[in-house]
Amino acid sequence: MDFIQNFPFFSIMLSMFSGTVCSVLPRRAARWVNTLMISLIGVLSFVLLSYLVVRGESYVYMMGHFPAPWGNEIRAGILEAGTALFFCVIMLLSMLGGRKKLQEEVVESKHNMYYILVNLLLSSLLALVYTNDLFTAYVFVEINTIAACGLIMIRQNGRTIEAAVRYMIMSLLGSGLLLLGICMLYDLTGHLLMSNIQAAVQGILEDGTYEVPLLVTITLMSVGLAIKSALFPFHAWLPDAYGYSTVSSAAILSSLVSKGYIFLLIKIIYRVIGYNVFGNSHIIDVLFVFGLMGMIFGSLNAIQENDIRRMIAFSSVAQIGYIYMGIGMGTGVGMTASVFHILSHAATKSLLFIAAIGLTDVSGGSRHFIDLTGAAYRNKWAGVAFTVGSLSMVGVPMFSGFISKLLFAQAAVQNHVKMLPALIVLAISTILNAIYFMKTVIRIYTPEEGSEYESVTFKNMKTYAVTLVCFILLNVLLGVSSQPIVDLIEQGLSMFA
Amino acid sequence: MGSNLLINYGEAVAMLLFVIGFTNLLLQKNLIKKIIGLNIMDSAVYLFLAEKGYIEGRTVPIVVNGVQDVEAYINPIPSGLVLTGIVVSVSVTALMLSLTIRLYRRYNTLDLDEISTRLKKEGL
Amino acid sequence: MSYFVLLPILFPILSGIFLLVRKEMKNRQSLLITVGAALVITTVLAITAMLTVRDEIFLVFNLTRTLPVLFKIDGVGVIFGIVGIIVFVCAGSFGFEYMKHEEHEKRYYGFYLIVFGILMALCFAGNLVTFYLFFELLTLSSMPLVLHTGSKEAVMAGLKYLFYSLCGAYMVLFGFYFINRYANTLSFSEGSVLNPELAAGHASLLLGAAFVMIMGFSVKAGMFPMHAWLTAAHPAAPAPASAVLSAVIVKAGVLGIIRVVYYLFGASFLQGTWVQSVWMTLALITVFMGSLLAYREPVLKKRLAYSTVSQISYILFGLAVMDPDALTGGMLHVICHSLVKAVLFLCAGAIIYKTGKTRADELRGIGKEMPVLLWCYTVASLGLVGIPPTGGFVSKWYLAAGALSSGIPGFFWIGPAVLLISALLTAGYLLPITISGFFPGEDFDYGGLKKREPGVLMTLPIALLTALSVLAGLFPNVLTDFIARLAADIL
Repeated sequence: MDFIQNFPFFSIMLSMFSGTVCSVLPRRAARWVNTLMISLIGVLSFVLLSYLVVRGESYVYMMGHFPAPWGNEIRAGILEAGTALFFCVIMLLSMLGGRKKLQEEVVESKHNMYYILVNLLLSSLLALVYTNDLFTAYVFVEINTIAACGLIMIRQNGRTIEAAVRYMIMSLLGSGLLLLGICMLYDLTGHLLMSNIQAAVQGILEDGTYEVPLLVTITLMSVGLAIKSALFPFHAWLPDAYGYSTVSSAAILSSLVSKGYIFLLIKIIYRVIGYNVFGNSHIIDVLFVFGLMGMIFGSLNAIQENDIRRMIAFSSVAQIGYIYMGIGMGTGVGMTASVFHILSHAATKSLLFIAAIGLTDVSGGSRHFIDLTGAAYRNKWAGVAFTVGSLSMVGVPMFSGFISKLLFAQAAVQNHVKMLPALIVLAISTILNAIYFMKTVIRIYTPEEGSEYESVTFKNMKTYAVTLVCFILLNVLLGVSSQPIVDLIEQGLSMFA
Repeated sequence: MGSNLLINYGEAVAMLLFVIGFTNLLLQKNLIKKIIGLNIMDSAVYLFLAEKGYIEGRTVPIVVNGVQDVEAYINPIPSGLVLTGIVVSVSVTALMLSLTIRLYRRYNTLDLDEISTRLKKEGL
Repeated sequence: MSYFVLLPILFPILSGIFLLVRKEMKNRQSLLITVGAALVITTVLAITAMLTVRDEIFLVFNLTRTLPVLFKIDGVGVIFGIVGIIVFVCAGSFGFEYMKHEEHEKRYYGFYLIVFGILMALCFAGNLVTFYLFFELLTLSSMPLVLHTGSKEAVMAGLKYLFYSLCGAYMVLFGFYFINRYANTLSFSEGSVLNPELAAGHASLLLGAAFVMIMGFSVKAGMFPMHAWLTAAHPAAPAPASAVLSAVIVKAGVLGIIRVVYYLFGASFLQGTWVQSVWMTLALITVFMGSLLAYREPVLKKRLAYSTVSQISYILFGLAVMDPDALTGGMLHVICHSLVKAVLFLCAGAIIYKTGKTRADELRGIGKEMPVLLWCYTVASLGLVGIPPTGGFVSKWYLAAGALSSGIPGFFWIGPAVLLISALLTAGYLLPITISGFFPGEDFDYGGLKKREPGVLMTLPIALLTALSVLAGLFPNVLTDFIARLAADIL
């Protein structure tokens, strides 16, 4: 066994331990430990990714001394390593971009707490990505929920606590369903490891004995994860949670937490149930329809919103709709498109949140559209970044959003039944996106004479500006050289199957 | 169908409890009742697991008296899962309760909808 | 060598960005010199590229495996490119004087140069992906020109412009998804790129896709029923920008339609189908309706915008007939209309600059105040009406002849008839200004007149464009030979 194969385990554990260490360190040191650890895990994931690309196949890593089917396992393929790397990058950038805001918004004694939560969140995300065991996945889903809840309410006011409670309730409903689904699946197959379950599921289908319970199980798990990832109409908690928490939290929640659950769902589809079984059940059509509805209603809600943060949050609902639409398409191309959109949306949405905070800061802290008039002149970097994010969301070529849309459309034209609804909704939703994002862009670039707010310069926000530039580059990178990434995703998905 | 339900009465009760807990968590306005619903829901799942793991006429999987025969013991994994699950649900419940206390101190009510309307009035 | 094609695209875009990001210049002079130099250098680069790397494919990079971004200069690209250069340089130098009374000149010229570069890219785009990319960018980068004054009216017009254009772009994208599936390649090539095996049995779907794409591009070209943005957005911009928008930017839609119809689907695929009939009907409705609305519009710049709506649909009608003569007429009208409409908008701008008058009925006696300007206006108007010896006459002649000889039932006589009626209306809305300008009538107070001829920086570009439009009519063979050969190739 190569030493590199230990890396997934190292990443999860490093993240957890650094969380523990952060609790006793002074505030500044904790911040550095946090930043360094995320970068280190990113590097580890990158090395692992290149190792796997060279190796060309995934591997299973035994945790402890018990072999399958009893022990616990980690599994690493290209998709897992790539997602881990991407999550680290986004998390690092989100933390850097919101650092200053964190110091202003959160009481000083809670800062260490914040770093602990972030590390915990990262480790649970990594575990969700890497694990090969369903019950472990459940446990880390809950840890993820708790950490996310902490991230929401770390900035304390009535809104965030209420949002956290709503988030918890929805999440608990989702994880209850997921848990029940896992238990029933265990009951049906007698296994908890993904590969063993899949073999047993095949056996069940061949015998034709437990088809209805299997269907119920699939439904429970899909619906549970859909609720947790805020698929329309389970999104009621989302705008408050993203809209009022501190900006790093909002960026991390929208781009990573919900994506972690979707990644788990994809993993369950491929590795547990089996792609064909899932495709033949009607769950996939249900996901498709709800995805389409999310795309429309999310955007409609966003249009009505007068608060820039909540508007971006509602746009997340629409984007998650896109991802579920791709999953619901029932083709490999659709799945590739969804995975790409997970990356693309993560890069764009965190950029938008971070840029929006720069704009609201130079408008007296108000998030109302009227007050944002001319904000882009007062904070030029945030203005440009917000524009780039908006263009990407609208789907202008050269940015990542365009490639996602292209992939979705390519997937749609291959499926004759779902082609027309998918394409029409894609077009409508894109135009709706354009309406609210371009409206905002024009608003922030409308010059306002004699504004009472001061403008900021590069000197006052070095970290912030550099973060924005990194985000923009990431977006353009995804938009311009998407082919290698799409190839990697395809390879990763084929390793899944 | 009906006869199956009678034979697997434990599972049937577990499902019933799950639905009761789920609807409580979803529909109750009072936060404490919601949390109780959450606990019912989780317990229902543990009951289901325990019921599944138990085999009539066998004993706890602790080796005493040197009996190593597999046939003598029940399946230990579901029990292990229940233990893990209880830990998770305890921590989640604790978190929910602490959040509820926070809200109650601020708004003197346990009704989530009322808190929402009040927040809107505050214009926060 | 083939990378030469990138120079006229990148140079103006980069110099525009440079202008936008650098600090406010100390004096106006240095800004104007920079802009002037950028315009001249771009012209030189573009012409060099057209002469040296015609028909060479230059691959920039692959967006995805099957979708390369590539450039290729072909005949149609050269025509649109040259028209664009002439109008941009003339309107640019006109602006040197005109923009004095507007604020934020640096921003204006920054975006002006970027639009110029993107327009060049659009002309030289070698496949649909590249075209679509720059089509979107064109909309976005020309937005600030519409928004320039920052008034409420301008912002509303800008939003209207943006949403109509984005809707159009997404209609194009919608069709793009389908053609991407059924075509061998998306590179523009004479005739059809459809893969006969894949496309077999999907003809009606592909016709629908073609229709959606044509409608999508026609939004930019201001065809009924998607024309409302044009008459709001064009007059809202400063006059030189209006000239550019009305003369060149709308032609991007025309170019798009030419590319889709003649270079992707192939004319033979669409001939005689419902797509062609609907398209011709809409174009004729637009021709008539545009002229009628222009006739009733009192504000000069708005009247010119309505006139653009009508005149662009002349071109679209010529394209829709799919006959070599009509196609030649359409392309010729692209050139003539660009030159003439630029002159008209610049004249309107010069009048606003000097007198502040915007309504047509306020312009009595204007010919006594600025005779050179009004002469140019008159000659250009005659060109738009289609009176020999101007270029407009030649292009309309070809359009009518093509329609008559095409033998499409109904349209072969309705078309020329509508064009004729619309030409009369055109005369009706343009020439009264000349008449009352030169002959204000008995009761006019001549005492209040003073010489207000605009400076040479404004007059010269207008005179130059007017002269070109007349030359196009005096020596049409140079153009018609070139275009007729092109038309024969792609039909």
